Amino acid sequence: MVLRKIVIALGLLLATLGLAACGGDDTVGGGSDEEVKTAESGPVEGKLTISNWPGYIDPGKNGSVTEFEDETGVTVKYIEDVNSNTTFFGKMQPLLDQGESGGRDIFVVTDWMAAQMYNLGYLQELNPDDIGTVLENLAPQFESEGQYDPEHKFSIPWQGGMTGIWVNTSEADEITSINDLFDPKYKGQVTMLDEMRDTVPLVMRADGIATEDATKEDWLAAIDKLEKAVDSGQIRRFTGNEYTEDLTSGNAVASIGWSGDAYLIGRDDVEWRRPEEGCNLWFDMAVIPAGAPNPPAALEFLNFAYRPEVQADIAAFVNYVTPVAGVKEILAKRDPKLAENPLIFPDEEFTADCAPFTEPPGEDADVQEVTEAFQEIVSG
Amino acid sequence: MRSGSPRSLRRRLVPYGLLGPGAIWLVLFFVVPMYFLGELALRSGSFTEGFTFTWEWANFPDALDGRGGQIFRTFTYAGIATVLALLIAYPLAYAIAIRASRRWRMVLLFAVIAPFFTTYLIRTIAWKTILSDSSPIVDVLQTLTLVPDDGRVLATSGAVIAGLTYNFLPFMILPIYASLERLDLRLIEAAKDLYASTRQAFVRVTLPLTAPGIVAGVLLTFIPAFGDYVNAYLLGSPNQAMIGNKIQSLYLNERNYPDAAALSFLMMAAILIVVFIYIRAAGTEAFMGDDEEAKT
Repeated sequence: MVLRKIVIALGLLLATLGLAACGGDDTVGGGSDEEVKTAESGPVEGKLTISNWPGYIDPGKNGSVTEFEDETGVTVKYIEDVNSNTTFFGKMQPLLDQGESGGRDIFVVTDWMAAQMYNLGYLQELNPDDIGTVLENLAPQFESEGQYDPEHKFSIPWQGGMTGIWVNTSEADEITSINDLFDPKYKGQVTMLDEMRDTVPLVMRADGIATEDATKEDWLAAIDKLEKAVDSGQIRRFTGNEYTEDLTSGNAVASIGWSGDAYLIGRDDVEWRRPEEGCNLWFDMAVIPAGAPNPPAALEFLNFAYRPEVQADIAAFVNYVTPVAGVKEILAKRDPKLAENPLIFPDEEFTADCAPFTEPPGEDADVQEVTEAFQEIVSG
Repeated sequence: MRSGSPRSLRRRLVPYGLLGPGAIWLVLFFVVPMYFLGELALRSGSFTEGFTFTWEWANFPDALDGRGGQIFRTFTYAGIATVLALLIAYPLAYAIAIRASRRWRMVLLFAVIAPFFTTYLIRTIAWKTILSDSSPIVDVLQTLTLVPDDGRVLATSGAVIAGLTYNFLPFMILPIYASLERLDLRLIEAAKDLYASTRQAFVRVTLPLTAPGIVAGVLLTFIPAFGDYVNAYLLGSPNQAMIGNKIQSLYLNERNYPDAAALSFLMMAAILIVVFIYIRAAGTEAFMGDDEEAKT
């Protein structure tokens, strides 16, 4: 009896599916059908909602967000809900596909993700006249290196940074290369990033492969090397920004991580090192999503953040590579030690062996194949 | 006798009226989502091009391909957690329902429910701190040689199973408590009068009478534990990843929506079959209670 009911229910389900197949030409994914708009300027007022990575501005009472609120009268809702590009995108995509942004006016995502969002029609374009302060103060190295959006048509650098190794100097002082992370001595005490474009190129470079010319096979070979390290228990976890917690609590003695997270880790004996074979350079971009409720305030906020004196506060708090020219001079007067910090103001020598993010080579299907292979080791 | 028909019509409609809210709930939050899930599972294409509906049955075998180990692991973790929860919950519920005085009963029940005042996620993150490599608890376990000196607790299967057990324990305690509380103690007395030993009285009287609570508790623990991914993510390493983690990754990171939907569908079907067999084996009266017998 029960079986018959189940069969009938399944039959009905299939029948309705059939109807959907005949009636619908709707697709899931594939980008927004709406036309790309240009972010409109206008009176700066109301509410502004920003989604950012943890530790990317001082959201506290005496911080830059409050300063913006006091100056403009705009109420800012500042959310630190970006922990990883892919997961944030996965979360927002169903909304973005409907032309909505979940009430958010600004996202900060890494440049390759910003480009992906733009290509899917999820972002608004920026009129150069509306971001005058930004373009005026943009540091030269951010102009030339912005390979995904060189003309800043849809994205503005929020901060730049380097991916290397955070090392607990009292436990694992001799780690200087990504290859050292595979040393059985540190079994189970190493974490890596779940961002494929961070972790995999570093592993390739440690094996002497120039990431710009890497083939799909090189990517897959590096992923294979990682898989063996997962199976043997060498790698404890793949995480987003939470890797800092494992360093703080001492669960990890070395982690692949981002150069400005000292504040989040909060330990004097954990230091960032540029791997001897080189590091990754990356740029996190501020974008205005389609469906943002308050583009005028968003544009004003970006101009505000690009004032050198405001950016000096941000740089002092964030400790990443600042995209604004003139900040070093301001900080040199305020806090000379900060101005000398190569993690905030790296010179060309420091980043000589480092390279910006690269995509896995080939067509969409090839990229998908590499992505799936990587996710297979991250999520079992 | 046509005069009674309006009343009998009403009487016949009342049960449907009572079913209404539940039925609407199920249709809105189960049938409709299931429909969309099924429809998504039969699409093909790529994320950038868009997924279109093409009766792509191959998604189902694709979704299972190479995941045997992970599915087995998920069943094992959820199964062990359920058994552990039962072993912890039954004596505890027994003590609260039968041994404790009325006043203490409320306090103890409150203590069982109290952790729920904090969210699930925060409690699991707290476990991460409690079990971290340099925590006092791990030190004690190492001194007791339960954990090797260079060993750890966090990021092992043990931590994930412990997290699952802890998080779903109240779902086991409460139904068992409810059935123990209704237990007529005179029946145990009667059993003893008839020369049953304490153990016999427990096995032949208490246990069968509280079987509905056990069955309900097992279902309420096993099903959410099977689908859980938070414990494996926070307390495990990639080697402890459960099928929920894979579904999350397929959806959020790989953006392979059809495979994610197909895998979810298959896991639901698997759970349904397991539950079906379980209820069959446990007997419907154990599930429904012994009311049917009482009537006859």
